Amino acid sequence: MAISVKVMERPDPESTSYLRAALSGMALTFKHLMNPIKVTQQYPEEQTELHPRWRGTHVMETHADGRPKCVACGLCPTVCPANCIRLVGGEDDQGNRFPLVYEIDEFRCIFCGMCQEVCPVEAIHVGQHFENAEYTRDRFVYDLDRLMEQDHPSTHLWDPSDPASE
Amino acid sequence: MPEMVTLTIDGTEVKVPKGTTILEAAKQVGKVIPHYCYHPGMSSPAMCRMCLVDVEGAPKPQASCVTTVMENQVVDTESSASVANRRGVLEFYLVNHPLDCPICDMSGECDLQDFVHAEGRDHGRSVEPKRVFGRDDFGGDVLFYGDRCVMCTRCVRFMSEVEQDERLTVVERGNRSVIDTFFEKGLDGTEWHGNIVDICPVGALVSKEFLHKTRAWDLDHTPSICASCSQGCNIELHTAENLVQRVKPRENLEVNAWWMCDYGRHDYEWINHGQRIEAPLVRDATGSSRTTGWKDALTSLLEGASGLNGTSVQIVVSARGSNEDLAALTKLQDVMGGGDKVFRVSQADEESALPGFPTLARRKDLGPNVGGAELLGISRVGESDGTGGLEAVKDHDGIIIVLGDNLEDQDETFGANAGLYVYLGTHECAATKAAHLVLPVTTFAEQEGTFTNHEGRIQRFWPALQPPGMARPAWLILGAVLAELSEGVAPRSAAEAFMNLAEAVPALRGLTYEGMGLSGSVSETAQHASLD
Repeated sequence: MAISVKVMERPDPESTSYLRAALSGMALTFKHLMNPIKVTQQYPEEQTELHPRWRGTHVMETHADGRPKCVACGLCPTVCPANCIRLVGGEDDQGNRFPLVYEIDEFRCIFCGMCQEVCPVEAIHVGQHFENAEYTRDRFVYDLDRLMEQDHPSTHLWDPSDPASE
Repeated sequence: MPEMVTLTIDGTEVKVPKGTTILEAAKQVGKVIPHYCYHPGMSSPAMCRMCLVDVEGAPKPQASCVTTVMENQVVDTESSASVANRRGVLEFYLVNHPLDCPICDMSGECDLQDFVHAEGRDHGRSVEPKRVFGRDDFGGDVLFYGDRCVMCTRCVRFMSEVEQDERLTVVERGNRSVIDTFFEKGLDGTEWHGNIVDICPVGALVSKEFLHKTRAWDLDHTPSICASCSQGCNIELHTAENLVQRVKPRENLEVNAWWMCDYGRHDYEWINHGQRIEAPLVRDATGSSRTTGWKDALTSLLEGASGLNGTSVQIVVSARGSNEDLAALTKLQDVMGGGDKVFRVSQADEESALPGFPTLARRKDLGPNVGGAELLGISRVGESDGTGGLEAVKDHDGIIIVLGDNLEDQDETFGANAGLYVYLGTHECAATKAAHLVLPVTTFAEQEGTFTNHEGRIQRFWPALQPPGMARPAWLILGAVLAELSEGVAPRSAAEAFMNLAEAVPALRGLTYEGMGLSGSVSETAQHASLD
């Protein structure tokens, strides 16, 4: 079958006015100017509302006395697919296992949230936060103190009353 | 020849000697029946009730660790009754066992964890509070977490039957029973108590040294030979992050069965010692030194040696060098002109044998390859603490080659008069100041090779760690030099280096790496020599 090509007939530019097209464009602009539904957000004055299961900068939960909840079991560095968690276990003065070193490299992290899923004591969490810009790269390695200081809310990846989504 | 019995286990027919237990017979068909209290090296109290299996014709499930096999017996380890029994027993264990796996050192290599994961219930039904004992220091290297104990009494039986020094017992009855020491005596002063940590099936007995150090699943296991005495215990080096984290015994009924001494178990920090020599160091006539590559270093070695034809070559080796290393050096010495060969080794005051397995002892010689050095005609010098004895070598004006000996007792004048002084070692010290060449070599944990133990058994070890920098096995370095001098072919692998050695030494004739395998072999000549 032969291919047929439709040739458009263009109006002669000498005898055509663009006024009508320009006016219809302006009409659209004015229509949006008056539209009460606005989608543009004035960030950073206006903050985006994050999805409830947003996985952002990590938070280490603490006990009431300020100790980290982490028991240094080593499951999060084991499960971490990006290999961005460094953990050295030790013992505190009360004989409890706790992390001597706990570091997360937020640059390497892929924010999959598996560290939170695997944690047996609900210590490490991903959080409702994404603005973690820094001036130097080494500042992206969050140590234990910095993870405990994070004041944004941590994310609930599942409903505590129905953890298996039944 | 013992009388043989034929029976059927899980549909597979197996022939075993009369008197074998069903549990051991099942191992022959590759079936491990879950158990806690049974250990092949000790008596069986049949108290853990995990190994109960269905035997056709028997009214009740039988404890396979004490029931011996009978002709035409039919055993089913996977019958619904056997599985239901194990499931029930495991549920009883979990009534009191705390599920503190995240903070337990045994997690990842725990029998209770494995069996519950395989066959246990996924939810506990017990609503009673668990009993709480807390943590107890048993002395020595052992911590006891009473809550985790499953009362298999392996540790009690090890101390009474194998070490034969009763330090542990079961106190109280029933639900309240717990392992305890006698008053404050504890395990202090015993020399084999590290084994009770190995045989504990759960995390009740843990090593203080290993506590919270690494998780079990992060460890790589490499078969090796203990380098702490001439017994040659078969061990596994457990490594993580290129460091030896702990040492565990490896089964070899001919040498150490399942056990090893605490001295060997804790003597591994020297392998991890930092500050290693990482590149060859060449010192010229003016005394200034430079680090360089291997080609340059070996060229200067050959140049240095060529001007000294006919002078005698004195060698000092360490009893931690492998057979291949020592053989390469002695052969090189013969080619270069020959001379005295000496080694030094520190000695313990006395042997300490394990009463329940008397052929295993911490030997007097605290070096793994004294047997190999003596087989190669290297003579022992110096005091019993591994010092002295090098007066003749120190001021020798020919060629001195030191391999592995750290020369801690020597000062800067060692080898100062030598025409050529080559030091092959791991660390620099005062006595290497005068060396014309300092060459980095690997430790036994970083290379493949063999040791000869006190009874002439040749046993292989495998590389567990990455060597630092440019360090190479000594047989490779010396083999290259030798090939250059004698226009031969340098060995490319440890197996080839051993083949050269086995051809040269009559006592080792016929031995190969494949033949030795994991458990080593005793050459016939060495066997005769030890019988004489």
